[in-house]
Amino acid sequence: MSENAKPRGPWSRLYDAFGVSGPVTLALLAASLGVPWLPGEFWTHVGTEVLILGLFAMSFNLLYGYMGQISFGHAAFFGVGAYATAMLFTALKTAEGQIGMADFLLSLLAGPPVAALAALVVGFFCVRLTGIYFAILTLAFGELLFYIVFSWYSFTKGDDGIQGLLPPPFFQDSTNFYYFTLAIVAAAAALMWRITESPFGYALRTLRDNQRRAAFLGTSVRAHMLANFVIAGAFAGVAGALWGPFSRSVNPGLLGWGESGIAVFMTLIGGGGSFIGPMLGSVIYTMLQAVVKMYTVYWPLTIGTIILMIVLFAPGGILGMIDQRIRRWRGAGRAPAEEAETAAPATEPRR
Amino acid sequence: MDIGPYALQLFSGLSRAMVLFLLSAGLSLIFGVMNILNFAHATLWLVSGYVTFSVFTFLSQQFGASPWMLLPAIVATVAAMMLLGFALERFLIRRTYDRELPEQLLLTFALVLILGDVIKLIWGLENRRINLGVKPMEMFDTLVNPYHFVIIGTGIAVAAGLWYFLHRTRFGKIVRAAVYSRTMVSALGIPIPAIYAMVFALGVGLAALAGGVFLPLLPMALGVDLDIIVQCFAVVVIGGFGSMLGTFVASIIVGVVYSFSILFWPDGALAMIFLIVIAVLIFRPWGLFGTEMRY
Repeated sequence: MSENAKPRGPWSRLYDAFGVSGPVTLALLAASLGVPWLPGEFWTHVGTEVLILGLFAMSFNLLYGYMGQISFGHAAFFGVGAYATAMLFTALKTAEGQIGMADFLLSLLAGPPVAALAALVVGFFCVRLTGIYFAILTLAFGELLFYIVFSWYSFTKGDDGIQGLLPPPFFQDSTNFYYFTLAIVAAAAALMWRITESPFGYALRTLRDNQRRAAFLGTSVRAHMLANFVIAGAFAGVAGALWGPFSRSVNPGLLGWGESGIAVFMTLIGGGGSFIGPMLGSVIYTMLQAVVKMYTVYWPLTIGTIILMIVLFAPGGILGMIDQRIRRWRGAGRAPAEEAETAAPATEPRR
Repeated sequence: MDIGPYALQLFSGLSRAMVLFLLSAGLSLIFGVMNILNFAHATLWLVSGYVTFSVFTFLSQQFGASPWMLLPAIVATVAAMMLLGFALERFLIRRTYDRELPEQLLLTFALVLILGDVIKLIWGLENRRINLGVKPMEMFDTLVNPYHFVIIGTGIAVAAGLWYFLHRTRFGKIVRAAVYSRTMVSALGIPIPAIYAMVFALGVGLAALAGGVFLPLLPMALGVDLDIIVQCFAVVVIGGFGSMLGTFVASIIVGVVYSFSILFWPDGALAMIFLIVIAVLIFRPWGLFGTEMRY
């Protein structure tokens, strides 16, 4: 692409460097820093939930947006991570229910590797399939793990779940826990960005666009898919690990396909084609849910209608729609010769 | 050995299998012809159950209570639901044919959420069930509800009818041809959009029939549709997408396995089914009776 005569502002350069995710991430980060100043603890609580579920949705998008496969069992790794942390937490805490700071952090560390291990086992089988078969196999494995956790009472406490996950006094303050979550989620997101912008990340995009051609080019399809499946599982485990101390309890529902559906919804609403889309989706989904549930029991009807509208009128989600506008708008400012180039979206990677 | 409980589980498993077959046959046909995996299929089934209940209650009030009132109720519901299916295809599903798989899934899943709440709005949280007042029969040293045989008979009759329809009628042959190559069928001058709408309506009609037939056996309750749709996915995967025979056999496998698992591991009945699905998808992803070509 030739150098443009039109001078570029900082936002424009941010867009050049990071795609539509650049400005949106910056805006979300700025907004997220100020959340605890909102009146009442309620919004800090909702903000923490937004961050955790947003990280979960972003990990799902590694499979969906970057690898082109839809998983209906991604919550299994979220739930396994949550249970790993919750179990170590319960083992480390004193009889009075107290836990030291070091033990607390140690129990958080248990989530991601256990989730990654589960993803390695499940992924080993799932990456052999694609499309609808991949979707159904991940669903079947996810539900199987759900039933194991649900009915193995002696090990997981079954449908009672594990209660009493009260973090150390410092993190019982919702503002402190919020900033702690923000730091972890931001670090995880930065790491994910690094992965998706690496040669590995671009190999995944090739798999998404044309698996057969990628194989002809010498990309090891299954190895790449499996590695990505494990990475996505590990990040879901990070989100899961945070969930227990946040909600003070875990239950088998965290592994179920209803929870997997939440990641799918968030990604579709925000836009799976961009890196930060799922987080934006989480902002919209979680906040909307918090508000709508105050007034009506018909939350499914509300979210169902929203999803219907998005699928019909805004495929690619909100960021997909905005990105399209930006590309068209920038294309209009360019020389006519360049317009053709901009019109073909495949020439520039979406982020 | 006392075979009583086993016979009971076998009959209830078989009648569950027939309901699964009625649903999965439509699901499989719709997927085969237009490549849409209809998440809302079991929800439409649930809606049909509630509608049949209301029509049945209305008829009983008008013309006196009688188990036979179920027949006209089912016929009316099937007709109404086919119209609804036709409209759904025309106004919603049709818009997603050229979209990617996740968006198609999301659209039908949105319908699951919306229709579930519509049921809640119209019929409330209460479960609905019809009591036909049929006397249980004594068989195998136990009491069996003879209605099981009505369901099993209906299932077998529909299976035979579907086979005749797909193999012996002109429209059925077109549908089968469309499963293999839509482009070719379209090139032969057959209006594909009309075929799509009719296949979708047919699938929903079968689901509505299943809803009505199932009503005297198990109560219709919110959320049951999610349980059932997952089992239907299991059936079409095990049997192989697009294969009617496979769907029939897989329905029996899933229905009976589910029914017997309840006897041994009540919480894990669905887990058993997922185990079978996983095994099939790993070793034979195109299903027991599917062909590798379709996969």
